[in-house]
Amino acid sequence: MIDLLIDAYQYFLANQSRFWTAATQHLWISSAALAISIAAGLPLGVWTAHEARIGQWAINLFGALRLVPSLAVLFLVQPYLGIGTTPALVALTLLAIPPVLIATYAGVRSVDSGVREAARGMGMTAGQILWRVELPLALPSIVGGVRTAAVEVIASATLAAFIGGGGLGIFITRGYALFDTRIMLVGAIPVALLALMAELSLGWMQRRLASGLGAAT
Amino acid sequence: MVRSIRFLVAFTTLVGLVLAACGAPAQTTQPTAAPQPAPTDTQPVRIGSKNFTEAILVAEMYALALEDAGIRVERKFNLGATPVAHTALVNGEIDLYPEYTSTGLLEVLKQAPISDARGILEAVRRGYEEQFKATWLEPSPFNNTNALAMTRQRADELGIKTYSDLVAFSGELKLGGPPEFPEREDTKGLMAAYGFDPKFIEENFVQLDTGALRYEALTRGDIDVVVAFGTDGQINGLGLALLEDDKNYYPIYQIAPVIRQDVLTANPKIAETLNRLAPLLTNDVMSGLNWQVDGPEKKEIADVARAFLQQQGFIK
Repeated sequence: MIDLLIDAYQYFLANQSRFWTAATQHLWISSAALAISIAAGLPLGVWTAHEARIGQWAINLFGALRLVPSLAVLFLVQPYLGIGTTPALVALTLLAIPPVLIATYAGVRSVDSGVREAARGMGMTAGQILWRVELPLALPSIVGGVRTAAVEVIASATLAAFIGGGGLGIFITRGYALFDTRIMLVGAIPVALLALMAELSLGWMQRRLASGLGAAT
Repeated sequence: MVRSIRFLVAFTTLVGLVLAACGAPAQTTQPTAAPQPAPTDTQPVRIGSKNFTEAILVAEMYALALEDAGIRVERKFNLGATPVAHTALVNGEIDLYPEYTSTGLLEVLKQAPISDARGILEAVRRGYEEQFKATWLEPSPFNNTNALAMTRQRADELGIKTYSDLVAFSGELKLGGPPEFPEREDTKGLMAAYGFDPKFIEENFVQLDTGALRYEALTRGDIDVVVAFGTDGQINGLGLALLEDDKNYYPIYQIAPVIRQDVLTANPKIAETLNRLAPLLTNDVMSGLNWQVDGPEKKEIADVARAFLQQQGFIK
């Protein structure tokens, strides 16, 4: 095991420029997919939480969307979007929207109706209730959704390598094609570390926010 | 040593899985099974093949040609990659199968590459006769080797006909190929032999996992040059320009029947028939036949083989 890791490290040293290009692509595509999914999932989540009738329906729809494998999405959009980062970005964004949306929905819905009543009693407008009451209270849940999305996106961005989108997945597919475990590890270990970092930092943020709320109430 | 053992274990596991998936593990995974007796006149000649279109297509042609010559055959196609088909031959589970000359030389016999076609044939005949009690009949003229192709339009536009012509553009053109391409030893050798710009397999290399995706990217203009095989159906089907390896860097991969010597001695008609078939299969013919199977028509392999041999007047 140790000598395998040493071999992998030597391969990394010999292919540094290739590695850093791939790592940059990987981070770029993951962040972009995450940013788009937050920009889309958050307002959608708030909206569905407020529209009780269609809310559950929309949540179920997006829940079902999660079940479509990203690889399938990738190959489905590829004929229309060609090769490269665009189809990968679409597949990853579709993967990341549901957790953000569902967490936002759950967070906003979990706000105590008494709290909402009190805010209205104080004369707050709907917008003020959203920004000053609902979103701050829902924030730990939303960050939890972003955490789930981030981990999934970072891991799944390896799929981009199938269709010319680059990223750290190129080492995984290349290692597999050559039956060379050390090349595979040069892709797999950094991806695992990135996912772990996202998990830990966002988890920490989520706990801080939750305990902050606990102290405030 | 440790690494090679680990590789062996992983490889054996994978082969085992593939075989299990094919549903025929008992036959091929037991090397202890005693070789079966060679067939006499009453036993059919068992024809094997590897697991891709061209291999099955050629094996089917062998089968049809032998049947037409009055020899009973049994088809045992789709045996997996080279090690599986080769082991089946050596263990006497099949009597012959189509194999590529340089695959026999480099992969099976593990000898150094040879540049001329005749030299390769002599070396594999010698090696197989000494080690495996098997030999090679006459190869077909087509050469299914690694190749680079472009759309005819782009190639004409830039005036590229050979690899040497390509060198001047290798710093700017985008190359699409399978994941392992930049890492393969022969690719590194190719780069050095012609003096290609390193960017060609680094920044400007687009990794595309399947052949279909690579050809689509080429026709869409996402890439300029594609890593191909000499008889890929798309070359004929999409009218691509196959660039010439003017320094003959890549080994020659011609297909020929590999046959157990006892079977050959018992049925001399086999050699006579298959040697007569061999010259029909040129690069253009093979690419066209592959395209009928892999292209939009999606014809059955057996139908394509039969129609071709009938049209050539080779069988009734």
